[in-house]
Amino acid sequence: MTKVEITEKILTILTEDFEFERPGLTDNLRDVHGFDSIDAIELLGKIEITILGFPLTREEKEKAMTIRTINDIVNYIEDIKRSRSK
Amino acid sequence: MKRRVVITACSAITPIGYEKDDIIESLRQGKSGVRPLRDDGLLTKHIHSRVFGTVDYPIDYGFKRQYRKTMGPVAYYACQVAKDVLERSGLSQEFITSGRLGVAFGSTHGSPTVQREIYHTFFNALEEKFSSIGAVDYLRSMVHTTAVNITRMFGITGRIIASSTACTTSSQSIGYGYEMVKFGMQDAMLCGGADEYDTTTVAVFDNLLACSVDYNDTPHLTPRPFDADRDGLVVGEGGGAVLLEEYESAKRRGAIILGEIVGFACNNNGGDLILPNLDGITATLRLALADAGLAPTDVDFVSAHATATKMGDVIEAQAIGAVYGDRPYVTGLKSYMGHTMGTCGVIETILTLYMMEQGFIAPTLNLVNVDERCAMLRHTRELTEAEIKIAAIQNFAFGGVNTCLLIKNGGMVE
Repeated sequence: MTKVEITEKILTILTEDFEFERPGLTDNLRDVHGFDSIDAIELLGKIEITILGFPLTREEKEKAMTIRTINDIVNYIEDIKRSRSK
Repeated sequence: MKRRVVITACSAITPIGYEKDDIIESLRQGKSGVRPLRDDGLLTKHIHSRVFGTVDYPIDYGFKRQYRKTMGPVAYYACQVAKDVLERSGLSQEFITSGRLGVAFGSTHGSPTVQREIYHTFFNALEEKFSSIGAVDYLRSMVHTTAVNITRMFGITGRIIASSTACTTSSQSIGYGYEMVKFGMQDAMLCGGADEYDTTTVAVFDNLLACSVDYNDTPHLTPRPFDADRDGLVVGEGGGAVLLEEYESAKRRGAIILGEIVGFACNNNGGDLILPNLDGITATLRLALADAGLAPTDVDFVSAHATATKMGDVIEAQAIGAVYGDRPYVTGLKSYMGHTMGTCGVIETILTLYMMEQGFIAPTLNLVNVDERCAMLRHTRELTEAEIKIAAIQNFAFGGVNTCLLIKNGGMVE
């Protein structure tokens, strides 16, 4: 999955499953869309199933807790993929 | 500090209606909300009782996902009636979030629907057992899910009481909310209870031989409180909420006063967890009168717990007879909708408020031949136009918990 495809997938999840209205790639998700820790855990579950295809470790999940924007999410996913492919 | 406590808003989702007019119409027309049990693909084929007090009309919740994500079906009922009550109360947003408003709200055991989804994962040997449990499943299913979803949705920051005592859940909520305001711990309390459609509860009572089974083909003919041909309770669903406020401040802001809570009692039988206990129940009724400073002759109407179990109704009738004699009208409101479990106390309170306001007393449905052991009471056998000044709402639960609320007609509060 390319970076563009990952971005589109995340946008789809956030608009369809999380019901965010027109999320921007650099929006602070918490401030603009009310994204909270529960959403973060739920989003990680969806990323595991629909994008990565494997379960994240606890350490990997903890790293995700500093994510604020969609761009952060995409970068996080790419980092995970890179580190797992080594 | 002892302050007077009044009810200034209410809302109920019941098997006989949601809007006030619908509920009053059902009470006046003797419409039952008991329906055939829906097939859940799991338990229903093993359950002998095939009836359920069902909420079978659509409700437009309109909750945003931000709130829905932590809500099971039980919290939908809870938040809907809470929303109604806060809207109808006219309380300012500043007050609602001030910490002076608390919440006393409960359910029998959270959301069994969500709990079942979790168990389904484990008992079906799914490959992804752990990860298939959602991050919010606990928040959706936990025992205090109704109370905290209400606080979250409306930004309420006061005290939380999440009673979970089966059939006395919401009567305790109202009673403890009343005490919170009466003794100055909070200025207002949003109180109530909810329980969702749940066949596991039916299975439990079915196994205890406490469920109605003889009227599976004629659901509207059961339950039959105090009737000689009663054969057990009918489980139901619903939600209800009342807003309690300190009287002086309610009066100052011009709130509509639906009723005044003048007394409350809660005790425990201190023994058997299932069998009704005459001494315990009788003591509860007397404690409530003492709390209110009222004589038994002051009470005009008794909303009996009256589940239509074989022994429960007899013991309750004996207790009512011992305390009140045959003066007050007695109605078993569960005859209209079954036993809505943790919700029954608040729903029966709201139905009583409606009858107080409208000046009538609904009869006990399906009471055709009064059981001679219950015959010492003044049963409401037909729709009766009557003024209720003081009403007693009594509820009793597994675990030996008993409650009694005494409520004064809002039109007579001075």
